[in-house]
Formats: sequence, C-alpha cells, structure tokens
Amino acid sequence: MWILSILPEAAIHTIFGLGILGTIAGFVLGFIPFVKAYKLAIQVISLLVLVLGVYLEGGLADYKEWELRVKEMEAKVAQAEAKSANTNVEIQEKIVTKTKVIREKGRDIIQYIDKEVIKKEEVIKYIENCPVPKEFIDIHNQAAELNKAAEAKK
Amino acid sequence: MKYLLISLLFIAGCSTTVPVTQKFPNATPELMKKCEDLKKIEGDKVAITEMMKVIVHNYSLYWECSAKVDGWQDWYNAQKKIYDSIAK
Repeated sequence: MWILSILPEAAIHTIFGLGILGTIAGFVLGFIPFVKAYKLAIQVISLLVLVLGVYLEGGLADYKEWELRVKEMEAKVAQAEAKSANTNVEIQEKIVTKTKVIREKGRDIIQYIDKEVIKKEEVIKYIENCPVPKEFIDIHNQAAELNKAAEAKK
Repeated sequence: MKYLLISLLFIAGCSTTVPVTQKFPNATPELMKKCEDLKKIEGDKVAITEMMKVIVHNYSLYWECSAKVDGWQDWYNAQKKIYDSIAK
C-alpha cells in the first residue's frame, strides 16, 4: 500500500482512534446536547472514519509483516553472499593446488626424460637411427590445433 | 477535487513491491583463465625424446584444463545449493 509510505503511522492510529471515539459519541453519548444536535452527521462521519481507520490499520499490519519478511530475506541473501564468497575461496585453493601438482608432475617427467631416459643406450641408438618421420610431427601438430579448425568453422 | 479524492481512495490499496535482489555470484578467478593452447613440435628432424616431452607437456595442459572444468562443476553445484537455500 503506497499510501502507508506517505501517511505516518501515528496518523493511521489517530484516524482509527477518532473513528472509535466518534462512533461511541454518536451512538452512546446521545444525551449530550451538542451530540444530540448533530447525532446523524456524527454517526455517519465517524462510521466512515472508523471504516477508513480499520482499513488503514489492516494495511499497516500487512505492511509491517511484509517489511519483516523483506528483512528476513535480506539477511538470508547477505548470508548466502558471504557463503558464496567462501565457496569461491575454497574452489580457488583447490584448483590452484591441483594445477600446481599437475605442473610439477609434468615437469618431473620431462626432467626424467632429459636426465635419465636420454642416457640409456637403447634410447641413444634409437635417437641416432630413427628420427621421427615428418608425417608424424605434422599429424601431431594438426591434432594440437584442432580447436583452431573448430573456431574457423564458426 | 472530489474525483481526485475518490480515485486516491480507490488506489490506496495498490501495493508497492520491495525488491530484494541477490547479486550474481562472482566466478573464482582461476576458473576465468582460459585453457592454454597445446604445444606443437618444432622442426623437421626431431628426436623421439623431444616428441615425448611435447606430448607430456600437452598431457599436463589437458589435466590443468580438466581441473578447471571440474572446478566449474563444483562452483555451479555449490552456488546452486546456496541459491536454493534462500528460496526455502
């Protein structure tokens, strides 16, 4: 209810209170000369004010309930955002560690080839007598660039 | 003036929406890095050991990229779980 954002809470309670007081005055305090003179007008106006007051009070109660729910939701969202950031940190650490291990292992294998494999007699003989055919190299290089073929087709 | 008051009374009950927006979660920086291109074998006369080194290097690149894909899957599952917990 947009009207609740304009109207202060006190005004709503005042309207409701005036409605009640007016209704009591109009229906119960008829013996007072002033009230007696304007009885019908007081009854009609106070009933209208009371209806408006009840309506606004109901709206206010509903508005407050929604406000509470919004606050609950905001708290949940803030909690979720913090949790999400923590998850990101955990995943980041996990990937960094995994990538580091993979790189180190790969480097170890290459070092092993350079330091150990290359010294073996049978390997030396193989290197001397059997260079890798150019076709094999080309096939390997083509396979290494398969992604570029896919990009070119886009 | 009379009509203005009547119409104001009629629209008094119109609701206003209070949006609670959730920010789209940021991706882990490591996941945003692109996978490196595979290495090619350079030269015409290449020893089998040189070829092996390139192959090993490329295997490493594959597993690094695979770790990123696994990371994206973990990220998605974790973020979805968090998102679903808000709706409950």
